[in-house]
Amino acid sequence: MTKTEGTRVDRRTTLKWMAAALSTAPLAGCGGAGENNSNAAAVLGRALEVEGEGYGQDPDLFEAMVPWRRTMTEAQLKLAESLADIFIPADQVSAAASVANAADFIDEWVSAPYPDQVSDRELILSGLEDIEKRARRRFKASFIDLEINEKTVLVDELTPMFGFLPAYLDTKSFFSRFRYLVVSAFYLSDEGMQDLGYLGNQPIVGPYPGPTEEALAHLQVVLDKLGLKMP
Amino acid sequence: MAIGPETEHDAVVVGSGAGGGMAAYILAKAGLKVLMLEAGRNYDPLSETAMFNFNRNAPLGGASTPDKSFGGYYHSSIGGFSLDGEPYTVADGSKFQWYRSRMLGGRTNHWGRNSFRMGPYDFKPKARDGLGVDWPIGYKDIAPYYDRVEALIGVYGANTGLENHPDSPPGVLHDPPAPRVPELLVQAAANDLGIPCVPARRAILTRQIDERLPCFYATACGRGCNIGAAFQSTTSLLPWAQATGNLDIITNAMVYEVEVGSKGRAVGLWYIDKNDGEHKFIKARTIVLSASTGETARILLNSKNSIHPDGIANSSGQVGRNLQDTVGSMIVAQVPALENRPRYNEDGAMGIHMYMPFALYDEQKKGRLNFPRGYHTEFFGGFFEPSVGLSGIVDLIKGYGKDLKEEARRYYGSFVAFLQRGEMIPNQKCFVEIDSEVQDKFGIPVLKFHYGHSDHELNQVKHFQKTTKSIIDKMGGRIVPFPTPARLAIDDGGKVIHEVGTCRMGDDAETSVVNQYGQAWDVENLFLADGSIFTTKSHKNPTLTIMALAWRNAEHMIEKMKAGEL
Repeated sequence: MTKTEGTRVDRRTTLKWMAAALSTAPLAGCGGAGENNSNAAAVLGRALEVEGEGYGQDPDLFEAMVPWRRTMTEAQLKLAESLADIFIPADQVSAAASVANAADFIDEWVSAPYPDQVSDRELILSGLEDIEKRARRRFKASFIDLEINEKTVLVDELTPMFGFLPAYLDTKSFFSRFRYLVVSAFYLSDEGMQDLGYLGNQPIVGPYPGPTEEALAHLQVVLDKLGLKMP
Repeated sequence: MAIGPETEHDAVVVGSGAGGGMAAYILAKAGLKVLMLEAGRNYDPLSETAMFNFNRNAPLGGASTPDKSFGGYYHSSIGGFSLDGEPYTVADGSKFQWYRSRMLGGRTNHWGRNSFRMGPYDFKPKARDGLGVDWPIGYKDIAPYYDRVEALIGVYGANTGLENHPDSPPGVLHDPPAPRVPELLVQAAANDLGIPCVPARRAILTRQIDERLPCFYATACGRGCNIGAAFQSTTSLLPWAQATGNLDIITNAMVYEVEVGSKGRAVGLWYIDKNDGEHKFIKARTIVLSASTGETARILLNSKNSIHPDGIANSSGQVGRNLQDTVGSMIVAQVPALENRPRYNEDGAMGIHMYMPFALYDEQKKGRLNFPRGYHTEFFGGFFEPSVGLSGIVDLIKGYGKDLKEEARRYYGSFVAFLQRGEMIPNQKCFVEIDSEVQDKFGIPVLKFHYGHSDHELNQVKHFQKTTKSIIDKMGGRIVPFPTPARLAIDDGGKVIHEVGTCRMGDDAETSVVNQYGQAWDVENLFLADGSIFTTKSHKNPTLTIMALAWRNAEHMIEKMKAGEL
C-alpha cells in the first residue's frame, strides 16, 4: 500500500481508489464516458490561439519581455498547477512546484510561437484534457478535486513504459514534456536552487577559493574508494 | 547610389572582432588613420551585458530559441546559426552550420576565451605526416606575437613544457584558478592513466591590468564581461584604438564588394548602409578584410568584374576552398563518486580551469595511431545554475514526486562533459561558393557550404571516445545517455564555430590567396586578417592565433606604408 506523507487515507478514499483500480474502461468506453469526455473539454475550455511574435534576435536583456500572449484558460492553469504539485510535491527540503508558479511557466511556454514550444503545446493541452477526462471517468470528479492518491493513480497510468524504457527515449510524451516543464520552472526558482544547493552567481573578491575543506575531504574518500591519488 | 563619407583614412578595416579589432588597434596606435566598417549594430558592453540575471528572469526560463540559438536568452550574441533575412545554403549531402554575430566586437563578445598557442608541429604538419600543406611561417615567426597578444589581452594558464604546447615568457600568464572537485577527480583518473591534465589557458584576467578588473568568478562569460576580465574587443582593442583619435567606426555597414581598379589595386569598398538601405562606396588606400572566414571569402567571391570573373584575389582559385572547422564531439558521464557531495560555490571562472592537451606525438610519429594530427579534451561539470530541464538532467531521471526531487539532489553536480577539439585535414569536399540562386535581404548573393569529413577525423573521434571511456571507467562513471558511434557523434561542420581556411596563406601565389602577411597576392593593398588566412587549423582554438597574425599583418602594412610601397 502506498503511503503518502501528510495525507490521511480514509475509508471513502480507499473505496474510490479501489473502484478506480478495478476500472478498465477504455478512453471512449460505454455508459456515460462520452458525456464525461465532453464535460472535461467544456470544463477546461479552449486555449486561445497562439498569437504574437518571438522576441527577435536582439531583445532587450534587461527589460525582458514576453511578446506573445498567454493562451491557457483559468481551468487549464488550475489543472496544470494541481498536476505540477504531484510531479514536484513538497518534501522536507522544499515546497511544491506551485511555489515557483509552474503553471504560469507552462502557459508562457505552450503559448510561445517557436517550433519546439508549438510542438509541446499539442502534447500539453491534449494531455491535460485527457487526464481530466480520466479523472471524471474514474473518480467522477475534476482532477483538481481529487485526493492525492487518486491523482497518483492517474499519473501512474501515464508512465506505463517506465519500468524498462528510460525517460530520455521518451521525450515526446505528455508525461515527459509536462515533467520537463515543471522541473524547469521549479529548479530555475530560488526555492529549487536552494533545494539543490546552488551557491554561485556571487562575485568573489580575490582568487577563486576552490573547494571547501569539507568538499576536499569528501573527494579524498571517493578517491580512496576508486584507488586514485589526490592530484 | 550614394557616396559614403569622404575618407582621409589610411586603412579601411572590415569587421571589429578578433582580427579587425587587433588590426585596427595596431594601425591606429602607429598613427595611421583607420576607418572600421561593422555589419552589425553598435554594442556597448558596459551598459548591455546581462550579468547576474538568473535564467528565470528571461522568457522561457532563458531557453535557447531560434532567435537566441546559442547559449540562451542572456547570451550576448546578436545572431547565431541563423540570421533573419540573411540565409546561407548547404549543398546536398553536406552538413554545415554557420555562426554569425551582427554586433560591434563580433564573436569576441561571447567566445569561450580558450587561448592555446599553436606549436611548431602545427605550422609544419605536412612535414610530419605528408598530408595537406604547410604554413609559410613557422612557430618562431609568430612566437613574438603570441607573447605580445597574451600580455596585452591577459591569459590565465601555466607553462607545462609539454611537446608542441609552447610555454609563454615568465610573468606573462595569469595564475590559473584553483581546480574544482570534478576537475580534480578527472585529473586523478588521467594521472593514473598517464594522460596529461593541466591548467587550461583562457583569456580571462586573474589580476588587474589597467582599467580591466580581475575575474570575480560569477556569471557566464558568454554573456560578455562588463568589467573587462574576459577579453572582448569592445572592452579593449576598440576603445583603446579610439582613444588614439585615429579610429572611426561605422556600424550597420554591410560590406559586399571590394572594387579593384585598372591597375589591379583596390580602390574602395561597397557597402549597404543598413540605416537607410543605400548602397555606398568608400575610397580606400588600403583595405583589411576581417569579416570572418565565411564573410571575407563571400566578399571576395562577390567582387566580380570582367577582369576577375571568379572574384578578386582569386587567380589561384583557392578563395573559398580549404574550409576547416575543429573536429568536435562530446561524451557526457554520470559519476556516482560525484553524487551527494558537499555543496560550495563551484562557478569558478565559468569555463574550463583544466584540460587535457594532446600528448601522443611520439606514438603518432611511430605509426601507432590510425589518425593524423591531434586533439585536446576540454571538460567541465559542477554545481552550476540550473537551466531549463534541470540542465538536461531531467530526462535521465525516472519517475516523479518526492523520488524525483531526491534524484535531482543526488544527480546535481555529478555529470562531467568531455569535449573533443581536434584538427581535421583540409579536403576537397569542404569549401564555400556563391549560390547564384539565393540572395539575402540586401540583395547580396549568399554563400553555399560544402562539407564532409574523412576517415582521418572519424578515427580521431574513435580514439577520443576510447580514451575518454577509460577515464570515465577510472572515475567509476557511466556514459549517458549511451555511447554513440563516431559517425553520429562527430559535430556538423561549423558547429564548433572555429571555421577557418577559405583564403589560405602560402609561399606560392599559384596555390594560396595571401602571403604570410595576409596580403593578397593579386591585390597589393588588400590584406586579410581573420580565420580565413589559416593554412591549417591545428586542434587549438583559433582566436589567439587570429589576433597574433592580425598584429603581424598590421605591422607589415605599417612598414610598407611608411616605405611608400602601398
